[in-house]
Amino acid sequence: MSNKPVYDREHHVKKATGIGDPQCFTGEAPAAKFKVGDQLRVRDLPDLFYTRTQTYLRGTACTVSAVVYESPAAEDESWDNTDKVEWFYSLVFKQSDLWPDYPSAFGNDTLETELPERWLESA
Amino acid sequence: MSDDHKHAPMVDEVSEFEILEIAVRELAIEKGLFTQEDHNKWTEYMHTLGPLPAARLVAKAWLDPEFKKLAVEDGVKASLEVGIDWIRTMPTQFGTPSDYCSFRVMEDTPTLKHVVVCTLCSCYPRPILGQSPEWYRTPNYRRRLVRWPRQVLSEFGLQLPEDVEVRVVDSNQKSRFIVLPVRPEGTEGWNEDQLTEIVTRDCLIGVAVPKPGKTANDPRPVRKALKPYDH
Amino acid sequence: MRHLDIVKQFQPSLHTETHAPSPDMVDDDHYRAYTRSSHDLGGEPDIPITWEEKEEEIWEHNTFVTCEVLAWRGVWNAEERRRRQNVDVGQTIYLGLPYYGRWLMTAALILVDKQYVTLSELQDKIHEVRQRYE
Repeated sequence: MSNKPVYDREHHVKKATGIGDPQCFTGEAPAAKFKVGDQLRVRDLPDLFYTRTQTYLRGTACTVSAVVYESPAAEDESWDNTDKVEWFYSLVFKQSDLWPDYPSAFGNDTLETELPERWLESA
Repeated sequence: MSDDHKHAPMVDEVSEFEILEIAVRELAIEKGLFTQEDHNKWTEYMHTLGPLPAARLVAKAWLDPEFKKLAVEDGVKASLEVGIDWIRTMPTQFGTPSDYCSFRVMEDTPTLKHVVVCTLCSCYPRPILGQSPEWYRTPNYRRRLVRWPRQVLSEFGLQLPEDVEVRVVDSNQKSRFIVLPVRPEGTEGWNEDQLTEIVTRDCLIGVAVPKPGKTANDPRPVRKALKPYDH
Repeated sequence: MRHLDIVKQFQPSLHTETHAPSPDMVDDDHYRAYTRSSHDLGGEPDIPITWEEKEEEIWEHNTFVTCEVLAWRGVWNAEERRRRQNVDVGQTIYLGLPYYGRWLMTAALILVDKQYVTLSELQDKIHEVRQRYE
């Protein structure tokens, strides 16, 4: 329809074809701020409308187990904003840090999940 | 059928979901957003999926330490050895939109047991493991596994000693996960096919561990469909 | 109109009356609770249930495929799909409709939101499909 803005809805499809996603964002992020073994903390940023940083992680200490890939953060990509690419990290949390009532008998239990750099700060 | 489902439509009636599904699909095709052929191709692709490639990947890793190293370091590359190309197996040539192309194999040890959940939806490595089971998608599993993993695992029949670290993997972004369990005793000298048989879907999610002679998931109630899709 | 009897039952589950309160009745915790994303439920207490497998309905399979093919053809990316299906639908639909029911609602709405189909076209189509089976 002629009165509608023109938008290449296949821009991401073209970018990812034959390459994959998140592979198609490789090389677009600034240098990774953190490395494997770093002690970090999950920031308590606003979570209005959308995030994939779980509420139960907020403010909790964690250790980087892997630097996994580059991608736009979910908050941006969810509205098709893909210009700002950042590193994602796999992080290990102690269950006893996440849940105050976690049984002390199982103090070794852990949880692993992935977050983009913007949600992380040094502990 | 339980009381709270008594208003579900009879088989010979057409439900609002069915009507809306047909309407959306037909409109999308009429507007040229995709073709019926695209839809058929994706259905054909879905028919090829199941847990077998992931089971074989585990069996190969048990037999070949070099392959195990590759699987843990680069799951996408290791998947090629079991016939799964995370980028090009599917009609898109850029992976499946819902599953992306970052695949991680989480290695158990005698003192570390992984179990996978996606608390935010129900992310699952479909290209190598097929469609997720219903229980995996329930809010209940997603609510409880991250906080009470040992209780949930015990409901699946898996009791783990204190000295085993339980690590819950919350699959929340673009990576998809399977568990590489410890090869059980009693499988000495087994070949790849024999080993593949005991790596069930539940073992790959992490709510069960492989055992010689156990080649199927635990039996569970199956909720019947009104008009089942024939896979 | 029978559905209004079910809608009525949503209210007591909140254990408090909700009639669009005035701002002085909304503190920060109240705000956070109501703006919380419906998908973010890790750690919420719940009681054990029976773990079930499930057969797939034909419409569920078709819905999944439609959503994937819409992404293949660039109508949405997977992150937008996840947001719309799991958050934008709101808590009531999130917990009240089947898993693929949410996917289906979202697939219908994306066509309208992105101006590929007008809402009246969608309504006419639903009406027409319904008539085929009457």
